[in-house]
Amino acid sequence: MKKIFTLLLIILFTFSACEKDDICDANTSTTPRVVIEFYDITNPTVLKNVTDLKVIGEGMSEGIVFNPTATGESKYLTNTNKIAISLKTDTDISTYRFILNSGNSNTNLINEDKISFYYTRETVFVSRACGYKTLFAFNPLLPYLQTAVPETNLKWMQYVSVEKNNIDTENETHIKIFF
Amino acid sequence: MKHTLKYFFSFCLLWSLFFVQAQDAPTINLDSINQIVPEVPKKIDTKFSKESKINSIPPKMDRYGIRLGLDLYKLTRGLYDANYKGLEFVGDYRLTKKYYLATELGTENKTTEDTRLNSTSKGSYLKVGFDYNGYENWLNMENIISIGMRFGASTFNQELNSYKIYNPNPYWGELPSIASNEKFNGLTASWIEVVAGVKAKVLNNFFMGFSLRLNTLVSNQKPSGFDNLYIPGFNRTYNGSFGVGINYTLTYFVPIYKKKVVAKKEKKKGEEK
Repeated sequence: MKKIFTLLLIILFTFSACEKDDICDANTSTTPRVVIEFYDITNPTVLKNVTDLKVIGEGMSEGIVFNPTATGESKYLTNTNKIAISLKTDTDISTYRFILNSGNSNTNLINEDKISFYYTRETVFVSRACGYKTLFAFNPLLPYLQTAVPETNLKWMQYVSVEKNNIDTENETHIKIFF
Repeated sequence: MKHTLKYFFSFCLLWSLFFVQAQDAPTINLDSINQIVPEVPKKIDTKFSKESKINSIPPKMDRYGIRLGLDLYKLTRGLYDANYKGLEFVGDYRLTKKYYLATELGTENKTTEDTRLNSTSKGSYLKVGFDYNGYENWLNMENIISIGMRFGASTFNQELNSYKIYNPNPYWGELPSIASNEKFNGLTASWIEVVAGVKAKVLNNFFMGFSLRLNTLVSNQKPSGFDNLYIPGFNRTYNGSFGVGINYTLTYFVPIYKKKVVAKKEKKKGEEK
């Protein structure tokens, strides 16, 4: 009897390692964003900060929030060399307007380029709490289409390079933009 | 509710630790006792047992047989829970005075509604094991307070009804859930249960019983592109291999034979011969 009891106790202790699983953990790898890094065109190995870049999706009224703590227009502006943008999970095209020197009083400095990303989507199961995630792969024939706005202007992004075709995680750089 | 249950189990585990310590008995040197205590004279003992046989009361008889019944919890849950249909037959056979061979056979159809997933599990299961009755009954009583183990196995299929895509940065807006109706067939799982239960005789040969089960998965064949969120017989799965279950049974006892309760004194006499 005592042996059985000891055995039951050992089994019981294995149950004590249960985990919380009804809330999707923020560290879980879910639907990734496209990670873009900005480089200096004259010195292509050196990262270069953008100035007051605003990224706004086509058809959207608000830009991507880069500074959640800031108020007003400045929360949409970034001055870093690395950004992450979301792709649409219900269509295979996402179009963004990249506005450099956005809101600058000197309107000649404001420069806008439009990029459409073309990709395919894959739905992958994550967990009970997180549901599914979408992974993306750039269209190998036409990963993106870049145009200046208006089209007669010069494009401020002088070269766009697709570094990673598959967007599975945000831990790597998918696109490099040289300007 | 789930966390309450978790803490309850954790508390039980903590409590069991004290219980284990309480079982520790001081070791007694048997040789030293044998030297001190002289051998009991045989004559007196045999005389006493003969006398007791003459004016003996009718011996206490234990009934042995099969107990068959239904899990009322699963049966009635279908009445108030639209997402659930289930049936479980239970049975046990008394092997010895304290040990029972126990089995459960059932079928379940459960729709699980999570925030991002909606799926239906359908299948049947079989559990086989034993119960150990730790309750010392008085004359004519046949109640059971038992602890036991089961090995359970289930074959089932799952259907993903709808799902949501998790996007931590929903710039383009949160998408509604997507209908799927994808089926995952031929799934299997097996597990071990630790069962704590009571059974009380309510009327003639009818027994009401309740049991609480802690399960741990041994094998779990997960479909590609999905997970086994509900395994018939095992119930809801968690991140690890842990699971819980209960049942509430009504059973009928079919007596097959009777056996005289062997008293401890008679056993002693047999040793002396």
